[in-house]
Amino acid sequence: MRSNFYVLSFMAVITIILGFLLSYSSAVLKARQDYNIDIDIKKNILKSLNIPADQSKKLSQGDIQKLYDEEITSININEKGIISENGTLSVYIAKDGDQPTGYSIPISGKGLWSTIYGYLALEPDGNTIKGITFYQHGETPGLGGELEKDWFTANYVGKKIYNSDGMLVSVEIVKGQVNQSGVNAIHQVDGISGATLTGKGLNNFIAQDLNIYKPFLDRIRVGENILE
Amino acid sequence: MSILSKKSKLALTDPMISNNPISVQILGICSALAVTVKMETAIVMTLAVMFVLSMSNTVIAALRKFIPNRVRIIVMLTVIASLVIVTDQILKAYVYDISKQLSVFVGLIITNCIVMGRAEAFAMQNPPGKAFLDGLGNATGYGIYLIAVSIFRELLGSGTFLNMQIIPQSFYDSGYLNAGLFVLSPGAFIILGLIIWFQRSTTKYEEA
Amino acid sequence: MLEHYLSLVIKSIFVENILLSYFLGMCSFLAISKKVETSIGLGLAVVFVLTITAPVNWALHHYFLEEGALAWAGLPDVDLSYLNFIAFIAVIAAMVQLVEMVLDRFFPGLYQSLGIFLPLIAVNCAILGGSLFLVERQYTFGESTVYGFGAGMGWFLAITSMAAIRHKLRYADVPKGLRGLGITMLLTGLLSMAFMAFSGIDL
Repeated sequence: MRSNFYVLSFMAVITIILGFLLSYSSAVLKARQDYNIDIDIKKNILKSLNIPADQSKKLSQGDIQKLYDEEITSININEKGIISENGTLSVYIAKDGDQPTGYSIPISGKGLWSTIYGYLALEPDGNTIKGITFYQHGETPGLGGELEKDWFTANYVGKKIYNSDGMLVSVEIVKGQVNQSGVNAIHQVDGISGATLTGKGLNNFIAQDLNIYKPFLDRIRVGENILE
Repeated sequence: MSILSKKSKLALTDPMISNNPISVQILGICSALAVTVKMETAIVMTLAVMFVLSMSNTVIAALRKFIPNRVRIIVMLTVIASLVIVTDQILKAYVYDISKQLSVFVGLIITNCIVMGRAEAFAMQNPPGKAFLDGLGNATGYGIYLIAVSIFRELLGSGTFLNMQIIPQSFYDSGYLNAGLFVLSPGAFIILGLIIWFQRSTTKYEEA
Repeated sequence: MLEHYLSLVIKSIFVENILLSYFLGMCSFLAISKKVETSIGLGLAVVFVLTITAPVNWALHHYFLEEGALAWAGLPDVDLSYLNFIAFIAVIAAMVQLVEMVLDRFFPGLYQSLGIFLPLIAVNCAILGGSLFLVERQYTFGESTVYGFGAGMGWFLAITSMAAIRHKLRYADVPKGLRGLGITMLLTGLLSMAFMAFSGIDL
């Protein structure tokens, strides 16, 4: 039996050594981790805007950073859709010269199991979907998890979020295949088989987030110069 | 003349098959099932456990004469938890995409019974060198199962092998479908059950 | 609001059962489910400890460890979230000890029946998993408590049903290599398949 003093000092020494080790490793690796997260987000913003046009090539982290700096202008807007220093909504704009080629907005919400995060990009008309990506989710791999796959996100491209009366109707995942001859086919997306609830979640939060950005989208649609 | 003595060799190879932590000692099954949807995650998890288990065994074996018996559990937990945090930090820094998929399961290595079990049963009684080999052996035995389960789940559930398409497109065109069941939890239980059946029938191991 | 909590309870018990869909707490599940009485004892202990540790760990994470959580102490830039694992496991071990002492002092009857299982719980991954999930899913304080309770109940339900099945299995002629662990795994697979039917419920 060892004395209490021994036990206490032993624990103290262990705690100090391990505490030092942990703080050290955290401090050393922190910058790299933050950089990874930052690049991952930038990669997804670029991907939603379909930059570069050839998506099959794997870009290094440096390339992504460079591409992002060259192509993307990020702005903050307030709830009226006007640029503001204190705005809480972010918009990432891709430009070709002075002409915007797309607007990407962050989307997030509940899927079946988890909160899903992603970016949705619109064409300069503020209506047609240019691309969509999901970068963080905890859905079942192989079912709901398919949402991050290219075959699924490609379904969104070219769909319209406003109907012919100018109402914001968002896009909706349907069960199975979209009936191409239906009137609403332009607002509908093929679902993932076996992941109906994930799809429902997606429908909800995409519509919600688009509604938050509606004042901004309306300004783009009528051709206002939103950068003023 | 081999590099390892016969006894040390046994510490390394015994837990791989005949005294496997998963199928015989029944330790560490939680994570064995959760990360086996894809081979990629299973392999990274195996490496993580290998690192934590061999290091924790070595550290605890080296300290075994100094650790007061009354507080040994908490000392072990602290050492293991610290190693797991370091592993998690490294994964986040260097293989960010995979660490996103492993999510909370890296943290759960702390309560992976293999790590605690080997620390208590082996490392407290043996010198560091042997304990290191024991840790490596047990982690390998654990990894064999993890990878075996993930091969079946990935092939049957997604039609791929290490993310490469194995089942040809012509199969899908003629009506073949991936078995979604194997991606979900029941598939994991059933495949592990069958593998254990196979392993125990070949080694003739019987539960008391 | 009540409806929201109710749906979270149902979801954590049935739809995302912590054992059957996240595989947490398998070790003690396999070892203890041989007998119905002990399963009930361990199951109750898990419910108890999870319901307590979930909110405590939430508070710990929220007021001390999270990035910017130490703003009240004048340290807004400190991010201690890398200490999550070690802090949570320490809280769990301490809570288990505390629960043990309180039960021993005030409810000796309950202590007698749960006593031997309490120390086992500290290394049950379901407990640590519960705490890690509530951080990852960004639950609020109320949600964490409810989730802790629901996850515990789900575990309780799974282990008692398995114990009941294994009780019946004693009279079955199972192939040699499949006895014990093998058949239990296959049964758990079937059980989890049955629970999957709940995922169709719209909450």
